[in-house]
Amino acid sequence: MAMFSQNPVLNGPNYSFAEVPRDRVDGLREHRFNPYTDNGGSTLAITGADFAIVAGDTRLTSGYSINTRYAPKVFKIGGTNSNQSDATLLLSVVGYAADGEALKERLDAVCKMYRYRHNKPMSVNACAKRLSTILYQKRFFPYYVHAILAGLDEEGKGAVYSYDPVGSYEREQCRAAGAAASLIMPFLDNQVNFKNQYQPGSGEGHALAEREKAPLPREEVEILVKDAFDSAVERHIEVGDGLQMMIITSSGIEEKLLPLKKD
Amino acid sequence: MEVLLGITGKDFVLIAASKAAMRGATILKTSDDKTRQLNKHTLTAFSGEAGDTIQFSEYIQANAQLYSMRNETDLSPKALANYVRGELASSLRSRKPYNVNLLLGGVDPITNKPSLFWLDYLAALAPVPYAAHGYAQYYCLSILDKHHQPDISLEEGIKLLVLCTDELKRRMPIDFKGMTVKAVTKDGVQVIPFDDDKIVKSA
Amino acid sequence: MDTLVARYSRPAAHQNETFGADQDEDLFNDMAPTLSLKFAMPPVAQPSAWLRAATDDRSNPACPIKIAHGTTTLAFRFQGGIIVATDSRATAGNWIASQTVKKVIEINNCLLGTMAGGAADCQYWLAWLGMQCRLHELRHKRRISVAAASKILANLVYQYKGMGLSMGTMCAGVTKEEGPALYYIDSDGTRLPGNLFCVGSGQTFAYGVLDAEYRYDLTEEEALALGSRSILAATHRDAYSGGFINLYHVKEDGWVKHGFSDTNPIFWKTKLEKGEFTNVTSQFERIER
Repeated sequence: MAMFSQNPVLNGPNYSFAEVPRDRVDGLREHRFNPYTDNGGSTLAITGADFAIVAGDTRLTSGYSINTRYAPKVFKIGGTNSNQSDATLLLSVVGYAADGEALKERLDAVCKMYRYRHNKPMSVNACAKRLSTILYQKRFFPYYVHAILAGLDEEGKGAVYSYDPVGSYEREQCRAAGAAASLIMPFLDNQVNFKNQYQPGSGEGHALAEREKAPLPREEVEILVKDAFDSAVERHIEVGDGLQMMIITSSGIEEKLLPLKKD
Repeated sequence: MEVLLGITGKDFVLIAASKAAMRGATILKTSDDKTRQLNKHTLTAFSGEAGDTIQFSEYIQANAQLYSMRNETDLSPKALANYVRGELASSLRSRKPYNVNLLLGGVDPITNKPSLFWLDYLAALAPVPYAAHGYAQYYCLSILDKHHQPDISLEEGIKLLVLCTDELKRRMPIDFKGMTVKAVTKDGVQVIPFDDDKIVKSA
Repeated sequence: MDTLVARYSRPAAHQNETFGADQDEDLFNDMAPTLSLKFAMPPVAQPSAWLRAATDDRSNPACPIKIAHGTTTLAFRFQGGIIVATDSRATAGNWIASQTVKKVIEINNCLLGTMAGGAADCQYWLAWLGMQCRLHELRHKRRISVAAASKILANLVYQYKGMGLSMGTMCAGVTKEEGPALYYIDSDGTRLPGNLFCVGSGQTFAYGVLDAEYRYDLTEEEALALGSRSILAATHRDAYSGGFINLYHVKEDGWVKHGFSDTNPIFWKTKLEKGEFTNVTSQFERIER
């Protein structure tokens, strides 16, 4: 079934997924049920000593068509009002945009209820666990999203939690998700976690000493994020148009919009 | 479910093959010898499609012996391995390819260095210090990774083999009816007596 | 009239002010105990077949939702307690989703669970098991036995049999009544007590090393080394295993963590200092033909 495969080399535009079971129960013919589509795009999050940055491109695609050049994937979560001016958490969702929207709304409602009942914002680790259970509630009818949650932990350090579609999660230094994850993640491994980097002059072969791990300063991370997306745009058709960057620090959340190539 | 194992040491190569001849859900014979001697210093063990295995290995054996008779000298194990690979490669591109996997071990008659080659039906050839085919790979390679040393003696090699067969008896869901074990040294091929009745207790 | 008054004089918080009935129910579910057993279902006749087509990359390689899989985990009993060791790689198809997964799940301070199969399934249900164990403690004023805890989990997953859960887990704990106790539970509903288990795509490689040198009277040091070496063997031969070696020792007064160590330096140390892994050469050589 190359017709609707996800490989763009094999076929023309695709609006839904490859094989869907056409179940027949007791002679009844069930119409094929395919509630998912992939809206492309990519997200990434990086932590620092006292901040976290979450970024995503703003293109929304459907097959080879670009539906809009501005559809944000990064959201403020858990503010007391509709403009989220006092939010303390960031959520990015990539995959199926409608599921992403639904997930964001649901998590935001939970955080708002928490704030209303406890008169304090939800901590990032509590929210991380809660998001995991929300995703797992739909274990048998999953949200088709890769979510990343970010905030500042109880010590004020940047915290990033990444999720699979059904809620397995892990705290990490950095994570790329979505269409260009396989392009961005190896770059982040090298530039943020210093994978395969060694101390110059420490020896040869097995005597090589690994480069010391250290959190990056904010300016450097912002440049890294922009570079990662610029590179992804060059090599992935579903990424481009705009870069939305949210920076969370102890003084609140700052949003930046930068242009990306629009072809 | 056939088991093939090969281990090299300081001055020998050990080749072992399971004794069970299976067809479907039946064991037809419990003393099958899945090895053929190619010349004085070279031995192969084979597994795969019934019929193909014997046909192919005896064809290889006949050609190796023909070479020895015509030239009054034996081919080295390395030369034979490459010859076998060539035959498998041309078979693979024929109308009906042989479905045979082999281990080929021998001691070079000039340098007296032991060598072992891993070959599969897709005509891949790899020189290796130890090797296995079939399910045995999944259980035995990690054991050999840990316990094998290039300069072991024949006794130590047999001990390693016992370590491997014990694990297979412990974890493989079928009875392979023990092993035929042969050692190739500079003096030729000898059959190694092997205790097949040992009962292995699981942890 | 009274009913009318009653309806309009309830405290505002209890009224359905802003949500539709279904949305309200959703939000109520959100507020309910979070590890509940209420799951959303796709509106089709056979949810499990639908789910398989959407998430199981073995039966449908083009499935849209890739769930993380692939693992080596092991646990074994010995005189000093139980050793639990795992790798840390998560794969989705050929993509390495993570190299830093914590596959040993700390159910509570004296019970450990391991993760093989669906990462979310293991994380969620072992956390749920932790909750059940705590409730047992509160209700009965004593710690739950490992046998009972593992049975709670086995019964739970059996209820969901055929629905698409995927987990192969081991529960390890030491209690006064049982001594060191180890159970294997999988999503088919199997539950087995035993001395030694390896679970995951790299299980056979780990078994190979472990079986060869396993004894019940291993010293603590030997046991830790053997656990770690068995995972190393699996990461070397199984492409779906790798990353870090996560080592735990469970004793009667709780578990102790023995590091989360990178396999690469350990591999080279093992090779160069002990002369193992002779199939690998430390420099690139042309293979002679």
